[in-house]
Amino acid sequence: MDHFPTSWGRQRNDAYDAYNTYPLHQRPNPGHDAFADSVQHTQQPIVTGTSVLAIVYKDGIMMAADTLASYGSLARFKSIQRLHSVGTSTVIGASGDMSDFQYLQSILDELIISEFTEGDKHELGPEEIHEYLSRVMYGRRSKMNPLWNSLLVGGKKDGKRFLAYVDLLGTTYTASTLATGYGAYIALPLLRTAVEGRENDLTEEEARKILEESMRVLYYRDARSLDKYQIAIVNDEGVTISEPQKLVTSWGFAEGIRGYGAQTQ
Amino acid sequence: MPDGSFAHPQQRQFNPYSENGGTILAIAGADFSVIAGDTRQSEGYSIQTRYAPKVFRLTDRAVLAVNGFAADGNVFVKKVKQRLEWYRHAHAKDMPLRAIARMIQTMLYAQRFFPYYVYNILGGIEEDGSGAVYSFDPVGSYEREACRAAGAAQSLVQPFLDNQIYFKNQQSLPGQSRPLHLPLPEVLSIVIDSFTSATERHIEVGDGLEMYVVLAKGRSIQGLESFRGVQELTPNPDGDRVFVIRRELKKD
Amino acid sequence: MTSIGTGYDLSASTYSPDGRIFQVEYANKAVENSGTAIGLRVKDGIVLAVEKLIHSKLLVPDSNRRIQTIDRSVGMASSGLLADGRQIANRARDESYSYRDVYKESPPLKELVQRMGLYVQAYTLYSSVRPFGCSTILGAIDKSGPVLYIIEPSGVAYGYHGAAVGKGRQLAKTELEKLKLSELTTREAVFEAARIIHLVHDDAKEKEFELEMSWIGAETNGLHLPVPKDLLEEADKKARDALEDYDE
Repeated sequence: MDHFPTSWGRQRNDAYDAYNTYPLHQRPNPGHDAFADSVQHTQQPIVTGTSVLAIVYKDGIMMAADTLASYGSLARFKSIQRLHSVGTSTVIGASGDMSDFQYLQSILDELIISEFTEGDKHELGPEEIHEYLSRVMYGRRSKMNPLWNSLLVGGKKDGKRFLAYVDLLGTTYTASTLATGYGAYIALPLLRTAVEGRENDLTEEEARKILEESMRVLYYRDARSLDKYQIAIVNDEGVTISEPQKLVTSWGFAEGIRGYGAQTQ
Repeated sequence: MPDGSFAHPQQRQFNPYSENGGTILAIAGADFSVIAGDTRQSEGYSIQTRYAPKVFRLTDRAVLAVNGFAADGNVFVKKVKQRLEWYRHAHAKDMPLRAIARMIQTMLYAQRFFPYYVYNILGGIEEDGSGAVYSFDPVGSYEREACRAAGAAQSLVQPFLDNQIYFKNQQSLPGQSRPLHLPLPEVLSIVIDSFTSATERHIEVGDGLEMYVVLAKGRSIQGLESFRGVQELTPNPDGDRVFVIRRELKKD
Repeated sequence: MTSIGTGYDLSASTYSPDGRIFQVEYANKAVENSGTAIGLRVKDGIVLAVEKLIHSKLLVPDSNRRIQTIDRSVGMASSGLLADGRQIANRARDESYSYRDVYKESPPLKELVQRMGLYVQAYTLYSSVRPFGCSTILGAIDKSGPVLYIIEPSGVAYGYHGAAVGKGRQLAKTELEKLKLSELTTREAVFEAARIIHLVHDDAKEKEFELEMSWIGAETNGLHLPVPKDLLEEADKKARDALEDYDE
């Protein structure tokens, strides 16, 4: 309710204002947005990234994503980084709309700076970043103007590993193996088989191998993927995001597949 | 277009809701209450995680189970907890169960035209020491009951509870009376059976089971001590007490 | 003070007949009565140091910091009214944010200082406000390397190799001039800064003080950070010893 009496309008007073022409005090903010009807909300993602994978291992967490940003079925940008470090103990990986992801990067960057300038030596860890992100994502979905992403948030702070998911609806969950997009169908079963119950034993090398193999399977099956990918590690030493690396694949078998190779029958 | 496919430009609307499976239930005893839920969270045919709690301790005498759209559920529980904290700051005591129930209805109805897509079941102990269960629909309609199941397997579990708790469709032997309330060990067996059965027949139920037991102040522990893995959450055994019991459920 | 009683000093929006704005000059007085703050722009970094006068033994050590952080690699030391210094710091953070919002990179310090100069100067224009009672030293490493500025209550801002404001600024400037600032390393500058603060501190007049120092350089990964405790204590001790030799 608007508590300013001047916003309520007046009853007509024939005695001194027969035609209701006496100007009312104008309130600075009109109660509505005159352009509201013309404001468009995101209805669909445009330039998109595909799956992100992540697992917990002995010393921390590991995350992987290829470097492709697609425009529909067009492989539009082939060296886009989809893994991003936030502060000194967190990494986020994004699938979905890349412009929305870049927006998220900039607000997280600002968040980290505003915490840094406090000068109290407190730093946001992966749990706080994930909570913050989920508030942002849920807030935007509630305005029917979502940020079109599925994100993985991982990290390690004060010896505690953390891995969680958040998406455009504000849905959240944590698990020791996570995957977004097609990865949730194709790679996640492989990851669960390889990781579940072995979270405290897997070495960095083993973890890397598991992710690489899953990325390879995804590259074979996901038409919106690329054989160039990056791996992010968060351990006691902090965040490291690798240079893009190539997947080794062999397509020799394709020759023998009916409808794919050279056969005509 | 001759086929008329572009005759009506159509807008795809963003759907702000999802459905994350799982099931919850609560049963009230004479001086206790059991509130339980499985821990699987899913979307479509995918299991998102095997452990996402749906049951939350609110006070020493109130436990809330939330089921439906997980994002709404988590936000809703967060807001309820915040309101309870404000209440504590203002009144230096915990909000009574029936007041929490009415507050939840107010909070749900406030979102009448953009509802929290969640089914709530509130269990605990009333001020008179009796066990109570309140169940809600997404927009705040609520009633006090003796038992309630909600969520994906509601249609499997509720008839079973009707039969076992309310003795529906049971013929009693001549001269034998039916108890108004069942004892705690029996209730816990019914809860476990409900979830193992729901896990068998419903793909969205499984992975883990969390059962909260709220015991009225000064009551005996009622055989709870013999339960495997029972864990007390309240620090003070002289007041109302809250326990949690965890069980594995099938993961397929 | 010839200005008193003439009426020209009651508002920042009124000149005196000889073209002065007394409110601004009074603001400078507030700075002159405050503990010294210095800044050193050296070969590979910036060092800020403050003589924080302790007016009560009941104060918690390390509280009421007069060196603040504006951005990842921008630090600020202020002299004068501490509360005004905080207001300026907050504004500087907002300016930094708004620049980054538009250009996706941190502002060059020169740009930030220009914007802050405009802000401070605006408080010398209206009868309804009072000019800021503090001088601000802003130091950073930006694209052009280490940079150092002072913003005065009037709104003017100049770049410096060595900056000093507050009570002991004259002596501090003399000492700074003796240094070959462009040849010093940041670590060496920490010791020089500590020495200067101790030197300009007037034991006879003033009570206790706390030495507060921060730095930006290769050793901090380009971040503005407080000088680590052990280094601060080492510099502090060395400065005290040097002072005793000096006195003898």
